[in-house]
Amino acid sequence: MEPIVKVRNVEKAYRKRKSKEMIQAVNSISFDVYKGEIVGLLGPNGAGKTTTIKMICGLLKPDSGSISINSIDTDSHRLKALTHISAVLEGNRNLYWRLSVRENMEYFAGNRGISRKEVAPLINDLLDKFHLKSKEHELVNRLSRGMQQKLAIAVAMLAESDVILLDEPTLGLDVETGYEVRTILKNIVKEYNRTIIISSHDMDVIQDICERTIIINHGSIVTDDRVENLLKLFEVRSYTVSLGGLLSSMQQQLLTQKFPNHTYVSDSYQSTLEIDLLKSEEIYDLFDILKLQATPVESIDRQTVNFEQIFMKIVKGEKTHEVAQSS
Amino acid sequence: MKLLNLLNANIRKEYIELKRYLPNTIAMLLTFYIIFLAMFAGIQVIGDPTTQDMNIQYVIVNYIFWYLTMIVVNDIGWQLSNEATQGTLEQLGMSPMGIWRIMAARLVSSTLVHILIIIGLLYLSMATTGQWLNIDVITLIPIFILTLISMFGLGFIIAGITVILKQIQAFLQILQFILAALAFVPLSVAPFLAFFPIVKGVDLVRQVMIDGASITQIGYSDFLILGFNAIIYFFIGLSIFLYCERVAMKKGLLAHY
Repeated sequence: MEPIVKVRNVEKAYRKRKSKEMIQAVNSISFDVYKGEIVGLLGPNGAGKTTTIKMICGLLKPDSGSISINSIDTDSHRLKALTHISAVLEGNRNLYWRLSVRENMEYFAGNRGISRKEVAPLINDLLDKFHLKSKEHELVNRLSRGMQQKLAIAVAMLAESDVILLDEPTLGLDVETGYEVRTILKNIVKEYNRTIIISSHDMDVIQDICERTIIINHGSIVTDDRVENLLKLFEVRSYTVSLGGLLSSMQQQLLTQKFPNHTYVSDSYQSTLEIDLLKSEEIYDLFDILKLQATPVESIDRQTVNFEQIFMKIVKGEKTHEVAQSS
Repeated sequence: MKLLNLLNANIRKEYIELKRYLPNTIAMLLTFYIIFLAMFAGIQVIGDPTTQDMNIQYVIVNYIFWYLTMIVVNDIGWQLSNEATQGTLEQLGMSPMGIWRIMAARLVSSTLVHILIIIGLLYLSMATTGQWLNIDVITLIPIFILTLISMFGLGFIIAGITVILKQIQAFLQILQFILAALAFVPLSVAPFLAFFPIVKGVDLVRQVMIDGASITQIGYSDFLILGFNAIIYFFIGLSIFLYCERVAMKKGLLAHY
């Protein structure tokens, strides 16, 4: 199957305004997104997520590499490629606050060359689906942030484009509205068969709605895998070992050599060890260390990791996931 | 058809905003009228009585034309600067119509909406002064259209600079005085100014509205200069805008303020 978004060896560097120093924002990244997928783009601040998103939606020209949407090159056929893509980049700031909900929708449709008459049924449908019908004549500056965010997504839907890019769609929303937005996004894919690429800091959002996650750090892709795979992988490898005694200094030294990322917490009589195993066989190495002083083991629990922990582990120790995948 | 829908959407937005912020619109028109009254009073008090009527007629035409130029050229800079602050500029940049077509639609729509206001102001000025000018629509329309095209070229230059620099408010304040100079300067003083934008247009409008010249009395060479200016300034303006857009996309300036 041909990917709907194809990113190949894309690079982008900026020159800092004051120091004139070049900053490599995106460093030769490549990935594909297929029709109907919801892909999460994750990364710490300054990782290159927004730059990547802006290059995909044609607002930023890559220094090298290529991006195609529906097999249309965004560099040589930018305007044609834009017919297949829409985006919400700055949430509620992407709207005209002096216009009403309906007027905003009509204006943005008009800017894509769609007439009011032609777009009216779709606007009515979206107002219903996004629970904005009762506010259609309300000025945007009088809406809550959540409603503005929903409207921004509804506006992106008007283009009937195959791909929708969302930069931080739940930023600043209360729990209830955030949940509503998540439900809306899931429905967009299910009901309208659209492809969504989301950049977010909210791990719950990514875990809840994305099938696949691309983690970017320092402008490079650190991992690209299905969310469920990442969860399974890290769940298997993270253990909490409760010990009925304390580890000797020699044992602690060996642990540090063998498992550099372990955490050891002790009180007067007992201790707890948190450990990540790169390969399941490594558990025997742990037992060997414990056996040296016959340290009693009270329990071994597999840790339930959430997506936030996985993200932190991957971003902090980038090679960990690659090794784990190969094992 | 798509271009028509684009134009329609922008005319509607312009109209809605003028109507929704009616007190602001009224204040703008009142300011215009009060400044006009001040100029009218100035001519009556300190002007030469023998050329008073002629001077008033000049002021009416020049002042109305200046207002039109401000709306077309200056307003696009303010609009884009505001869009960059609001965050809507990027959305315009993602339209498959292209930003330049949206800008062209904005220029045409603000002209069309304000032309009705300008006609009202023109008649109000004539009624206030008792100086009724020659409104020869057949002669005025081609002059207006050709002059407007060169104004659109200037508008594109301002739009392009705004896309790159964003904070051009101070420049826009200065620009309104440059535009005033172009609208008020008589061509007889410096004939080479005929090749400057709007100068030839306003000169011909004066010939029609004040001297009563008809289309047959205006020479082909005058229309040729107007047409030449229209093509050159529109082409230069659009080229500068497209270049600025490319620079903005390369440097990532569309969203930054």
